[in-house]
Amino acid sequence: MSWLRTWRALRDKGVLGINRRNAEYTLRWNPRSKYPTVDDKLLTKKLCARAGIPTPKLLAVASHHFELRALRQAVLGLDSFVLKPARGAMGNGILVVRAREGERFRVAGGRSIGIDDLSYHAAGIISGLYALAGQTDVAIVEERLEVHPALVEITTEGVPDIRVVVFRGVPAMAMTRLPTRKSGGRANLHQGAVAAGIDLGTGATTHAVQQSRPIEKHPDTGQSLLHRTLPGWQPMLEFAVRAADETGLGYVGADMVIDATRGPVLLEMNARPGLMIQLANQAGLLPRLRAIERGWRPDRSVEERIAAGVAIAAGAKQ
Amino acid sequence: MNRRAAASGLALVLLGLAIFAWKAVVYDLPVLPTDPEGLWRVELAVSVRGSGDRGSVRAPLPSTGPGQEVYDERSAADRLLFTIRTENGDRTAIWRGAFNGVHDIAYGFRVRLEPIVTPLESAAGVPVPREITERHGRASREFPSDAGEIQGVLSALALPPASDVAGRVRSVYAMVAHEVATSRGGPDDALIALANRSGSERGKTALLVSLLRGAGVPARPVLGLDLGGGSARETLWAEAFVGGVWVPLSPNGAFFAERPAHLVALRAGSMAGVEVTGAEAVASRWDALREHLRSEELAAMMVPPNRALRATSLYRLPVETQTALRLLMTIPLGALVVAVFRNLIGVPTFGTFMPVLIAFALRNVPVYVGLLMVVSTIGIGVFGRLVLERLRLLLVPRLSILLCVVVLGVAAFALLGRTLETRALFSGVLFPIVILTMLIERFSIAAAEEGLATALKRAGWSLLVTVAVYPVLRDPTAEYLMFSFPELVLCVMGVLVWIGGYTGYRLLDLRRFRSFANADVAPS
Repeated sequence: MSWLRTWRALRDKGVLGINRRNAEYTLRWNPRSKYPTVDDKLLTKKLCARAGIPTPKLLAVASHHFELRALRQAVLGLDSFVLKPARGAMGNGILVVRAREGERFRVAGGRSIGIDDLSYHAAGIISGLYALAGQTDVAIVEERLEVHPALVEITTEGVPDIRVVVFRGVPAMAMTRLPTRKSGGRANLHQGAVAAGIDLGTGATTHAVQQSRPIEKHPDTGQSLLHRTLPGWQPMLEFAVRAADETGLGYVGADMVIDATRGPVLLEMNARPGLMIQLANQAGLLPRLRAIERGWRPDRSVEERIAAGVAIAAGAKQ
Repeated sequence: MNRRAAASGLALVLLGLAIFAWKAVVYDLPVLPTDPEGLWRVELAVSVRGSGDRGSVRAPLPSTGPGQEVYDERSAADRLLFTIRTENGDRTAIWRGAFNGVHDIAYGFRVRLEPIVTPLESAAGVPVPREITERHGRASREFPSDAGEIQGVLSALALPPASDVAGRVRSVYAMVAHEVATSRGGPDDALIALANRSGSERGKTALLVSLLRGAGVPARPVLGLDLGGGSARETLWAEAFVGGVWVPLSPNGAFFAERPAHLVALRAGSMAGVEVTGAEAVASRWDALREHLRSEELAAMMVPPNRALRATSLYRLPVETQTALRLLMTIPLGALVVAVFRNLIGVPTFGTFMPVLIAFALRNVPVYVGLLMVVSTIGIGVFGRLVLERLRLLLVPRLSILLCVVVLGVAAFALLGRTLETRALFSGVLFPIVILTMLIERFSIAAAEEGLATALKRAGWSLLVTVAVYPVLRDPTAEYLMFSFPELVLCVMGVLVWIGGYTGYRLLDLRRFRSFANADVAPS
């Protein structure tokens, strides 16, 4: 039976399932009290500022409906920006404005919207429409990041992001999520974005999948997805590990973007990182997580831990 | 699964099962719902129209007697005076007054029925009391036992000697049951039925009584109700007085010397049903419903004589609390189904317990009606939301407007249910409208954010879980078990501990990661 065969294959490769991730990793290593700092992007920003990790520049904030007027004034002075909820889940409620023509804004996906639509969207954010638990939220306006030239060939719309899963301060696995036309410019794997696994040691892509199926070329540009080395890989690993240390979470995903001018920038931290990263790497997380646990020692420097993660990732491959 | 979770789960399950077994084995509480046969609630509804004249409505009332126990009688009639007259042990309900316009009369009773089996002995030496012979042995206009045709048939039957009463009854019964056809709308008169060799139930009963009396056996007709087949129908049968007891005989061969438990005798000795004078009867009908044991009867049966068990028996609660708790006690089962779907299968749904709540609210209607209601209410809501979107309203007022739209939609369902005479639709008014409004909002956001396909898929999964929860909440056996044995909730909790401690793959994990199984050959 094929279900049984898949079951065995997953178990043999040490693929982490949702139940085990929740029970043995997120529930065990991520204390609930630390969630607010990662669930709220404003708090994440503060935390990163403290640790000297670059984040997208904050341009405007509205936490109450009466502050929307000021927000409108602010965005009318900007050419491009991103409007997002501070506590949004799964990339919901994010509006990327590429260009402004007077009082109209061209958003990702080619649509053009007016300033009223924009402030209505911001009002929805404040009301908690996109918030994790429906609580009132804060609308934030950030600078829009540009796709790094090294990734232009394999990006159609939107900006690719890079995720590093960090377990107990040691990087375990990494991938990059490349938006496609199908995903509507969003780096959401469920909607058809491409995920490419990254070799922790070199920062080069190794495998790629789209909606669970392995692929080799970008579906829109036709360019090869494999063996592309991401620029600034070492600093990215460092940011991920240091940010994870700051959050106090034991099992966390760090999402970063390589900006064309600023280089690596940390977007957000995720306390419940998804499992698709395993498909993108064609490798299970469990052997690496267990190796990290076995080799865990207190008071190691960031560099030591990165080296340990790289060694474990390389060892798990054999 | 970690060992502690496995052990705690096992402990809970075993504890629940132990108490359950204690109650079931030691105190002999029935494990399955027991409903004694033959418990009915019967109702008579008569509508009468009059134009100001005084008049009366008479209806034969059943009495407690062999094979039937009548209790809990109730009567309701607007603007009429109600009395019960008892004559020769027969009871008649009388509603009288000035009939003006339409009057609705209702009368109901509960009855416990048992089959009657009468031994048919030759009964030679048993003397027949004189009043029986006088009342039930003589010829009358209705039962012309002295008519020439009757006497002719009796002599042609070559009856056994008069001392063999049982033999005579048997012969006469066989003749009427098998040689005279039963036809609906056939002759009601004994002699015409005999001449045609075909008669209505009434005609054949009259013939049977006439022939028995002609053969020297006291006999009487009985007007009764046949509760078989889920409705109540007026019916007639005959009774012969043999060996000191009345022996029931079916005019159409359905029973002989025994009365099945679906028959209620309303009156013996007369075939007259509901009579109306001074007004016009518009409608008259009997209805019957299978009854359950009343709560105090059930409680007497279900509360074990142990102090600890008595203290924890839910049957000791007031009836209204019991009704509410009965429903509530099935919710753990619904939650268990949801946990299986979410954690073992990995189905994404809108809201964790939304399916349970929807299934709970819809448990009174058939599943297709329920689904239709959910889908169309969501449809109305999503459409309403699309319209509202243009107004750019703030979240809470917008949700509240949606709530209003949903309330109106539910009201429309109720109206529709009324015009269609469909109680199923009507009873869905309990609808969890607030939950539904949230569902509409979540559906709309999912559709906008993740595409209509994803939203529809998740809505489909949610409905699937709803449909899976549904039978659990509707099943009377499950309800009975959970209410009678609340310790089973411990078992449910134990299983939930196991599910919560299960760290293996979910069924849909396998589908998501299936490319791992195919990548066996790929070099690493």
